[in-house]
Parts: sequence; structure tokens; C-alpha cells
Amino acid sequence: MRVLLTRALFYIITAFAAITINFFLPRMMPGDPIERMLVRFQGQLSPEAVFALRKLFGEGDDNLWTQYWAYWGNIFRGDLGVSISAYPASVGSMIGQGLPWTLGLIGLCTVLSFAIGISLGMLVGWRRGSWWDGLVPFTTFLSSIPYFWFGIIMVYLFAIILHWFPLSGGYQAGLMPGWNGDFITSVVVYGTLPAITIVISSVGGWLLGMRNMMVTTLSEDYVLLAQAKGLKTSRVRQRYAGRNAILPSLASFAMSLGFLVGGSIVTEVVFNYPGLGYTLFQAVNQQDYPLMQGIFLVITLTVLVANLIADFVYVMLDPRTRQEAH
Amino acid sequence: MTTPPTAATFTAPRRRTRSTNWMGGLRSGKIILGSVVFLFFLLVAIFGPMLVQSDPSQVSNDVLLPPSPEHWFGTTHTGQDLFAQMVYGTRVSMFVGIVAAFFGTLLSLIVGLTAGYVGGIGDELLSVLSNIFLVIPGLPLIVILAGYLPNTGSVGIVVVLAITGWAWGARVLRAQTLSLRNRDFVEAARVAGESTARVVWGEILPNLMAIVASSFLAGVTGGILGQAGLAFLGMTDVTEWSWGGILYWAQNSSALLFGAWWWFVPPGLAIAIVGTALALVNFGIDEFVNPRLRAAGLGTRKGTSTQMRRVRRPLGGRPRRVLEDAEFTEGEPVLRIDHLTVEYQGKTDSLRAVDDVSLTLHRGEIVGLAGESGSGKTTLAYAVTRLLRPPAVITGGEITYTGRGGEAVDVLGLDDRELQAFRWSEIAMVLQSAMNALNPVLSIGEQIEDIFIDHHIALSRAERRARAAELLTTVGIDPNRLDSFPHQLSGGMRQRVMIAMALALKPRVIIMDEPTTALDVIVQRSIIEEIARLRKQFGFAVLFITHDLGLLLEISDRVGVMRKGRLVEQNTPAALLERAEHDYTRHLLRSFPSLRSENDLVASRYVEAEEVVR
Repeated sequence: MRVLLTRALFYIITAFAAITINFFLPRMMPGDPIERMLVRFQGQLSPEAVFALRKLFGEGDDNLWTQYWAYWGNIFRGDLGVSISAYPASVGSMIGQGLPWTLGLIGLCTVLSFAIGISLGMLVGWRRGSWWDGLVPFTTFLSSIPYFWFGIIMVYLFAIILHWFPLSGGYQAGLMPGWNGDFITSVVVYGTLPAITIVISSVGGWLLGMRNMMVTTLSEDYVLLAQAKGLKTSRVRQRYAGRNAILPSLASFAMSLGFLVGGSIVTEVVFNYPGLGYTLFQAVNQQDYPLMQGIFLVITLTVLVANLIADFVYVMLDPRTRQEAH
Repeated sequence: MTTPPTAATFTAPRRRTRSTNWMGGLRSGKIILGSVVFLFFLLVAIFGPMLVQSDPSQVSNDVLLPPSPEHWFGTTHTGQDLFAQMVYGTRVSMFVGIVAAFFGTLLSLIVGLTAGYVGGIGDELLSVLSNIFLVIPGLPLIVILAGYLPNTGSVGIVVVLAITGWAWGARVLRAQTLSLRNRDFVEAARVAGESTARVVWGEILPNLMAIVASSFLAGVTGGILGQAGLAFLGMTDVTEWSWGGILYWAQNSSALLFGAWWWFVPPGLAIAIVGTALALVNFGIDEFVNPRLRAAGLGTRKGTSTQMRRVRRPLGGRPRRVLEDAEFTEGEPVLRIDHLTVEYQGKTDSLRAVDDVSLTLHRGEIVGLAGESGSGKTTLAYAVTRLLRPPAVITGGEITYTGRGGEAVDVLGLDDRELQAFRWSEIAMVLQSAMNALNPVLSIGEQIEDIFIDHHIALSRAERRARAAELLTTVGIDPNRLDSFPHQLSGGMRQRVMIAMALALKPRVIIMDEPTTALDVIVQRSIIEEIARLRKQFGFAVLFITHDLGLLLEISDRVGVMRKGRLVEQNTPAALLERAEHDYTRHLLRSFPSLRSENDLVASRYVEAEEVVR
């Protein structure tokens, strides 16, 4: 398990880096954001909000070092500060509202698109040189499309022209969120179009990567031997070629989660989906800096956890990484 | 955002002159098509705004008009000309993409080269740094950065995109530099005392160009997409026209609800087309760098059925020195290869790897096949159970196997299902390098049990395992090793596992392709003894392929010698030693040190008679 420990250590370093960036970013920004905020809100800010702002931007009596320590303390207590646009709501509670939606939509779609892309890529690589190759330029085109633009096209076709799906939102207005049939059905209906958008725009990358690895793996001797053994075609393809070809894809899965999450976040804006991406967008528009930073931090930490899970699966699939067992 | 370039499938580029390098790549249709499209957009970006008369921000009364001769791309809700906006937008989007990619690639080149070349603690730190940048989600970070800088112009966006986009390229470049650094020609340059700068500039950088190019192109796509995302969110200067900016105005002016498809379709389409064009160029580079990607797959019609399509050709009455099979009739024949011809078919010409070879294996016999590399002996071995892959095609001859009940099986005529059942139960194989021939992610037990499952041997799970354990015991391996993975075994053990696997279905023929070549002499000896013992026990016939003629003379009942695809001679070891008929055989016999022979090794360079004449 040394591999996993090393990886975990790396994620801890990364989390440390992200939190540090988060601390210094507002303090390094040019100009005086607080003055700007005060002018913008023209005295509507309560003294507590102004205090929260000053704390964020590092004004006050404490030196930088003390502030940095205090910041860490707050993070471990789960205190991400106070939202300015939705004062007096805490940043933590705002994120708590958005996170389940984002985890549900983007988490599910990412896994789904990985699974679909890998399976299709396996087939396309296996049948390299046949008409399946026609999928390659097509998926290349799909993966070059900006997610949010594809979202707009989907909304235009399926919500505005065909009326098959609702235009925007996460669930039908007027329903109370809860574990009941109506609400869940509504979530599924509202989530379908964003989900299709994300899956279709991200599936191409996996497909191409897997296809290339598959083609490379097919020239390995163990695939030849598997064929010589008279194994079923499906077994040779999946257990001998596929199992090996999937490993690099899994490694890059972990590495590209950050990319994917970024693309999906803009998609939320197109659909006014009540997740973290949309909240982040609003926070930026309203210059709600504490909220912006809280969201960045939570997204980063979530991606790190997802990475760790992907690494865990990798170790499960590749016995060479758990060498010291014997 | 984009997914990063496909998991670095770059194989080692060999050192070639650079001009031929790129000429080869440029001939690819993908690269040409992609470059032409990209160039078109580049020209529009440079010259377009000079040629378009109308001002993209000019408001008019032609409100929300669909495309027409006056307004090629239609108009917005304030009557602005969308064609003009697209042309001006092309300039900004392409500029941001290219400049961001340039600086991003420069950063990744600096970091990647330094990390890969310097190594040590510097490498560790830089690797961790680039991994951190990879793992941290880029777009939210960009959004926040842009959020802090109100009304960010293109320059700010370029900086932000370059800072957040270099990590992937650095990672790939580091790995490649690392592998290049240890290559012979770099070592040679260093030993020769060339300065670090010269080594990096003259030896390493030229070999990184393909990767640098592909990471630059991926960076352009990433930059254009990133700019579009930010502009769409309204985080750039929205009065500056860009593809994302047009989409921002379309979204905020409810273009969707008006049904103004001409407003929001062109910008996204342009992004997708540029991205596809660049990806095509990258495919071309990829396929050029990694030739494996050009090979046909296994599941294709071409891949499976070329092995059974028999194009019968009249066989010329070439004088044959090969002894007639009738002279070896000690046992009944199990495998007859008749006039077999295998060709590697190129686009214009083809190469005969196996040329009209006839060979018979009798029950329980060890037939050795010797020959230098490239003589076609391995191709012949794979042809027997039709394992050849394109472009190798069996173009003539017959392979007949005699079953246990005396029935003749036309191996080249079997359909896929019959072939699968035939393989391994009648003819099994032992391949050269057991490390590569065993699946690294399955335990050896699983790899043995798969045989029983797919050959429909009616066994319970426990019985399968017991049989696999029994097989391991047969070749002298502790059955506890069933759950071991190939990397946990020594080379000799892996080879024994391969032999155990070959015995699984008690085949009547085992083809062994250089089974001992990768092993040291002592292990080699024990494996050979094992094979001899097992043959006595199970009575299978062996087709033993190796370049080691000395070994063959010792263990074989009969030895065949192959040269340039032809079986030039076959006879018993004793007969060969005493009166080899073919010059080449005599040459081979001379070229290994023998206690009995006093021939000079150095002098024995074989030159074929006809070559001398020429």
C-alpha cells in the first residue's frame, strides 16, 4: 500500500497548496477591493459584513503569519466566512446547498462518460481499421465543442423547439425538496438534459485515449498468447487487452478530473442548475469574494478525494503497484 | 475545458535527420486537412477585420434578421451584423489561444526539460508542482482570478490561461526527456564532453519537437476554449468581440427564446472546427511518432479472416533439396504443413516471409527449426494456428492436423468457432519471453483457469483450481504460486508456468518459439530437461524453434534449417553433422564452437553463391 500512501501524501501537499493559494490570493490582488465593495454597496453592508471582508483581505492589526494561522484554524472548524451577497448566510451553508447538486450531476456524469468512453474505445481499438474508425473524427469533433455551447444547442433543440425537457433549473418550481416521488422524478427530468450534455461532450476524450492504448496493447505477446489459447474473443478483448489498456486511462482520469469539473461548471450556468458552478458564477458577478473562495476550496478538495478514489481503483486493478505483499 | 492529450502514447523517437522526420509526418492526410483548416482561420484572424467593411458594434434597424445576402450571418437584437462580429471575434479568440499556448508551452518546456534533465530533488519538486497544477481544477481558479481583476482584457486572460495550462505538457515532456537522457546517443554526447546546453539543444530538443508541437496545438484548443468559457461567463471585457463574447451577448439577450439560432450557432461551431482541425494534426503526429497506431486491429475482418483466405497460386516446380517426408515414418503424422506460403503484403509490394515450406510432425517427435532472425521461422510457427496478423497473409499451401481418432482437420479451413476450439486443445504454444507473454494483471492461476472455462471443460471452480495446481506441480512449481502475478516470479519460473499452461488440455503438438532464449544457461538446461521429461510422460510432439543450432542438434529427432523463408534442409542431427547438403547449413554448423571442429569462427561469413556472382 506504499503507493497509496505516497499518493495520499501528495494530495495532502496539494490541499495545503490550494488552501495557501486561497489565503494569499485576495491579499495579493491589486487595488483596494474593500473600498470598491463599500462604494458598491453604499452603506448597505452591516458592520459584521465589513469586518468579514476586512478579515478576508487581510486588513487588521495582526501580521500575515498570525492571520495565516487563524485561517487554518477556521478551515479546520469548517468556518469559511460569511457570504456578502446573501448576508448573513455563512459560506458553509451556501456551499452545503449547492454541493449535493453538483456531486450528483457532475459526479454521476463523469463516471458515466468514463465508463461509456472506455467501453466504446475498447471496441474501436479492437476493430481498428474497420468502419468503427469513423467514430474517431466524430468524437474528436464532439470533444472539441465547448460544453456550455453544446448545452445551449441542447436547450434550443430539446427544450425550446421540441419541449421534451424543461428549460432550466434543478427541479420544478414549487416542489419542496425531500425524499418523495414527485421531487425525485422532477430532479431526474430536470437533470437529464444537463447530464446528456456533459456526457456527450466529455465521452470523446476517453474514447480516443482508450482506443489508442488498446491499439498499443494489442501488439503485446500476452494478447497473442490469449488468442493461441483459444479463448473467447470477448475474453481476449476485455480481460487480456482491455484490462491492461485501461490502466493509463485510469491514471489520466484522476489527472483530468480538474479539467472536467471546470467544463461542467460552466454547463451548470447554461442550465441555471442550482449547483456549485452556478453559485460560483453568481458569487463572481456579485463580487462575493468569501463565497468564491469557499467554493474554489470545496471543489478542489472534492476533486482531490475523487483522485484518491481513482488511485485506489488503480491499485486494485494493477497488481504490480502492490509489490510488497509477498 | 478540454481533456488533456491522450495518455502519452509516444514511443521513443529514433534519432533521424530532422528533415525526413517531418517530411514523413507531413504526408499524412490528417495533418494536411487539419493544417489547411487551421490556416484558414488564421488568415481570417489576420486579414479578416481589414476586409470587413461593417463595424461589428454598429447598431441598426435590421433587428434579429436571419442570414441573408446583406447580413451573411444575420443580425442581433440591436441590429448588429453577426458576420462582422464573427470575423473580429476570430481575431481575438485565435490571438488569445495562440499566445496563451505559446507561453504555456514555453513554461512546460522549461519545467519539463529542467526536471527531466537535472533529475534528483529538483525533478521531484518540479514534478510535484506540475502535478499540483494539474489536479487543482483550472477553470474555477481562472474564474476567481478573473473575478479579482475586473474588466480583464485579452492580455490578462492570456496570462491566466498560460499560468493554469502548462502542467500537462510539462509532465509529458519531463517523462520524454528522462527517457532520452539515458539513451545511447545522449550518453555519448555527454561523455564526449559537450556542454549541457549543447546536449539539450542539439540532442534532446530535436527529439522532443513532436511532443512540443502536439502540446502547443492542444494548448491552442485549450486557450480558445478557456477564453470562450470566461467570455461566456462575462468575465472578460465584453465590449471586445470574441467567439465567447458573442455567446455571452446571445445568452444575455435571450437569443434562445427568440429562436435566433444564427446568433449562437456560428461561434461554437467555429471553436469546434478549430479544435477538431488541431486534434487531427495531433493524431497525425501521434500516429507518426507511434507507428503501432497505424496497424490494423484484431477484431477487423481484415484482422481475422486474412488468416484463412487462401489465394491459391500455382507453385513453381522449384528444384527441392528437402527430403521427402516419406523418409520419416517412425510414427504416424500429427501435423502436416504442405507448400505453405506466407506474405507480408504492403501497399505496392509484398514480402514472402515463408516460401513454399513443407514439414511434417509425427507423434511424439521433436522437430527443431533453426535459422537466423528474419528467416521466417516464427512466422511459420504463428501460421500453424493462424495467429498471424495483418499485413501477414497465408497465400498458399495447406495445414493438415490428424486428430486423436485419425480424422484429418484442414486447419486453414476452420471457421472462427472451430478454430478457437482447435487452438490449445490440439496445438499449444510456448512463447519466447514469458514476461511479455503472461498477462501482468491476472494471477497465473486465473490465466490457467481461463483455458478450462473457454474450452468448456466441465469443472467446478474448485476443480479448475485443483487442475491448475496440479499443472504447476507437474512443472515443479509450488501450487501456492497460483495466486502470484507474473512480476512476482523469476524468469525460469515464468517459463515453467508457460509450459504448464501449454499442458493444460493435453495437446498433441506444442510449438515452442525460442522458449529458452531469454534465460541463463543453467535455467535453460533445466527447462530443456523438463521438456524432455514431459514429452516422455505425455507424448506430445514438439516444433522447437530457436537460432541455437547446437541445442537443436542435441534434443531434436529431426532438424530443419530455414533461410529467407525457405526450408533449405531437414534431416536427423547425425545426418546433418555428417553430410549437410546445403552450404548454409554447413555454415551454421561451423558458426558455433564445437569441441570436434577446428574451424575458424571469424572466417565463416556465409555468402550465398548467387550473391557472389552478382
